[in-house]
Formats: sequence, C-alpha cells, structure tokens
Amino acid sequence: MTTELKQSWAGERLPIIGGLCTCLFAPVFKPGSKYFDTLLGLIAITLAFLTFSGAVLAVYYDPWHAFASVQFIDRNVHNGWLVHAYHATGTTALFGLVYLYLFRAMVTRGYRAPGELVWGLGVKLLAVLLLVGWLGFVLTGGAASYWSLFSASNGVLALSGAAGAIGNWFFGGPAGGNALARLVVFHAVLALSALVVVGVLFSARGAVAPKAERGRGVAFFPYYLSQYLAALAVFALIFSVLAFFAPHFGQPRANALPADPLTLPVAVALPWYLLPLAGVAGALPGIWGGILGVVGALAVLAALPWLDRSGPSDAKGGLYSFLTWALALDVLGLGLSCSPLLTLLLTLWYFFHFLVLTPVVTAMEAK
Amino acid sequence: MAETAATDASSHGVDSRRGFLTILTGAASAVAAGTIVWPLIDALNPDAQSEASARMIVDVADIAENTAKTAWWGGLPVYIRKLTAKQIADAQAVMTSALPDPAAFTERVPAAYQNYVVVVGLNTGTPCALEGNAPADPRGDYDGWLCPCDGSQYDPLGRVRSGPAKKNLAIPRFKFINAAQIQFG
Repeated sequence: MTTELKQSWAGERLPIIGGLCTCLFAPVFKPGSKYFDTLLGLIAITLAFLTFSGAVLAVYYDPWHAFASVQFIDRNVHNGWLVHAYHATGTTALFGLVYLYLFRAMVTRGYRAPGELVWGLGVKLLAVLLLVGWLGFVLTGGAASYWSLFSASNGVLALSGAAGAIGNWFFGGPAGGNALARLVVFHAVLALSALVVVGVLFSARGAVAPKAERGRGVAFFPYYLSQYLAALAVFALIFSVLAFFAPHFGQPRANALPADPLTLPVAVALPWYLLPLAGVAGALPGIWGGILGVVGALAVLAALPWLDRSGPSDAKGGLYSFLTWALALDVLGLGLSCSPLLTLLLTLWYFFHFLVLTPVVTAMEAK
Repeated sequence: MAETAATDASSHGVDSRRGFLTILTGAASAVAAGTIVWPLIDALNPDAQSEASARMIVDVADIAENTAKTAWWGGLPVYIRKLTAKQIADAQAVMTSALPDPAAFTERVPAAYQNYVVVVGLNTGTPCALEGNAPADPRGDYDGWLCPCDGSQYDPLGRVRSGPAKKNLAIPRFKFINAAQIQFG
C-alpha cells in the first residue's frame, strides 16, 4: 500500500503524503508496545481538542467584561456550556496526562540516555502548559482568578531592573481588562507553541524508540491504531464522566463569583494542576523566593537524567523505585497541604530527593 | 471454508469477521467524532440575542395612512409608509420608462400588502436621512420624501424623481408575517 500511494498522482507531487503513508503503513514498529505508550498521542489529541474549543470560546470572550462574557457563553451561546466544559475538563485531562506521562518516565527510568532529550522536552511541555493553564485560569475573571493575577502582577511590577521591565511588558500594568486583553493573546500563542513542543517531542521519541528486527515489525495501521482507539475509548469515558458530572473539578469555589477589587476572598486558591508548584513557590519567602521556587522545581526535574548516576547499567533499584513513589506522594502533599510548615518540609524533601537522594541512591544501586 | 476466511489475516473483505469489525469500529468512531465536534460548530451560530436583532419584528398596524414610521435595523433607518388610495393610483399611472431609475409599482411594494412601502430612508446621492414621514413634513413635488442636504426628491414608492440622486431608495430584506407585523432579515 505504501508504494502504491507514494507513486500516486498526489504522492509524486506532494512528498509529505508519501512520508505519511510510510508512517502509517510501513511495518517498522516493534510489536508489543504498552498501553501507556499512547499517553503522548493522547496528549497531542487533547491539546488539539483544547485548541479547537479555545478558538470557539475566543469568538465570544471579552477581556474587558471577562466574567460577564463567560456567563454569556454559558447561558446564551448555542451549546456554549458544553464548549466551556470541554475546555475546562480538557485542561484537567491534559494535566492529568502530562503528570502521568512524566511520572511513568520516572518509574520506568526512561529518561536515561538516549532518552534525555525526550525527557527534557516533556518537562518543557509541562512548563509551557503550566503557564498556559495559569493564564487560562486568570482569563475567567472570577474572584480567585482576579486575586491571583493581582498578586502576580503587583509582585512582578514591584521588582526593579530587567525583571520589573519584563513583568511590565508581560502584564501591561496592574490586574484588569488591560492585562487580560494581552494575556488572552499570550494564552493562545503559548498554547500553539505547546503544540509545536509536542511535535518536536514526537520526532525526538521516534529517533530513540526501539526498532523492530528486520521482517518482524508491524505497521501503525491497523495494529497500533486499534491500540490507540482502545486507549482513546477509556480516556473518552473518564473525560465524559468529568465533563458531565464534575465540570468544575479542581477549580476554586471563589471563581463562581465575579472579580471584585474591593473584596478579598477568604483564601486565594488555584486550580488543582497549579497547586504543587504554587506550594513550592509559596514555601520560599518573597517574590524572588517564588520565582526561584518555580524555576528551581522545574530545573531539577529537567536535570534528572544527569542526576541519575546509575550509568548505562540496566539495574532497577528497589530503594530508588520506592523513593520515586514517595516523591509522587510528596508532590500530592504539596498540592493538598494547608499548613505552611508542612509545605516547607515537603518542598525541602522535593529538592532533597533530586539533589541528594537521586545521585547517591542511584550510584549506590548501580554497583 | 468459513474458518479459512476468518483466520486469513490478509482478508479485508466485508464477509470476514475482521472486515465487519473494521467497518463497525470505523462507523462508531465517525459517530463519536461527529458528536464531539457538533457542539463546537453549533456554538459558532449566532446566539439568540443577535439572531433576534438580525431578524427584528416591527408592528405596522399603528401606522396611519399617509404617514411613515422609522424602524432602526442593522444601524439603518428603515421607513415604513402606509399609502393612501390616491397615492397608489398616482404611482400606478406614472410612465415607468420616463423615470431616472425605472421600477414598476409591483417591484416597489409587497405583493400581498400593496399599500405599504418599506425603504431604507437614506438619500442615494449624499447619504442623508430623508424628510417626509409625517404629513406636515416637507415632501417635495411628488408627495414622497425630500432630502434636506442635496434636494433630491422621491415619490411615495421611494423612486427617485429629481435631484442629484440617480437611484431609487433601497428596499431591505423583509416579509409580512401577518397583516400587522413585518419581519426583517
């Protein structure tokens, strides 16, 4: 089928069609791939889905009357409530998939050579999506969103020098319509750049994926397509349950009220996917502590392939595997913690895990 | 024979079990994708509010003979005028070919309600709101409308009769939904 389509009228004039046919029909993939290997494909599909639903929302969204325009979408636009639920639940699903994807790479230790670049791109994707997610949260114009933007923009604007200048450029002044009018553009542009990161990630992963022995490979169609469809069906089931029974999952309740500059909510809350990072940022004092916490937490994550000192040995250490699961609980705790002392301890454990435990334990277990 | 067909991996015919499952999966996927995408497409239809203003309904029962009321539709002043029997007779008597922009009586009025004229009340020369809706207004020599800016004159059907303007008044998209109401759009 490959050669037929390559030599067809369109295939000769548009070489990309031939390339696409090779991807779909060439029997080059190793059989016996795990269902979790479809996570990256699900991430790409969810991201594309969010792009489409976001484009529809952007038609009606008005940064100068943010909360009212979201209400208008929910109540007056045909199926607007559903498009809104698509976008909100899609965000939850996307972060669920990305966190799961990164955690799986940590458990299987797939980040080690030659997978360092794939791992780094995965962390980069998480970083971009966290920014896009926060911007999307801010755009809803609810009370929690307003105060999150208020503290972020005022904190950054108070900085002197280049940091303050960049913050001024980014936010365009204090919280309000003027800031939201540009943040809606940044939200969309950064979301598209996340799609580019996923594309590069696919290409990098294809380069290091194990190749099938000659004559023993299978084609994407229909073998892996059916695997993708099975994974997609399970994903769609979970997505539907969330979208129709918990459309506000993980969103702070204060966001049901419109932004009011004269009323401070009891607690400034964030959506669930930002909570662990916000915990790290909040544990360190001052605005620079917050910036250092965010950058540091993502930097040690990206540096994991080099912090793991096990070398090329294939030994899977029981202790390090246990520590990885403990780190998952630590991140979960960072998201759920209500006490500053506990948050500080969990933050310290997070950095201790990566900077001390990881090199020591992996080097010990590789012997 | 049936066993051979079912186990033959290269068989993609509709008869085989695999062929049936492929078609079933494809059809179910197409239905699922369509159901997911449909709300996104439907959401881009105009919402009820803009639909209502785009298809505005105006009451015409309260218009007295020989007067016109103004309805604002799509940002334009639309004049709805009820003709007298004399105005109808006069308009039908005019030699159509002698007009600057020839148009017959039946082209200017709705077929079922020939005593109503619905036109955009802007002069087709210098864009300017026309005068002549009330019987006491200056109406020019043809008992229709007069432009206060360049002096163009129109008859009661909105056909240009003299002046710098060369075209008849535009007729908006509308229809009578009953004897008392018209709907635009």
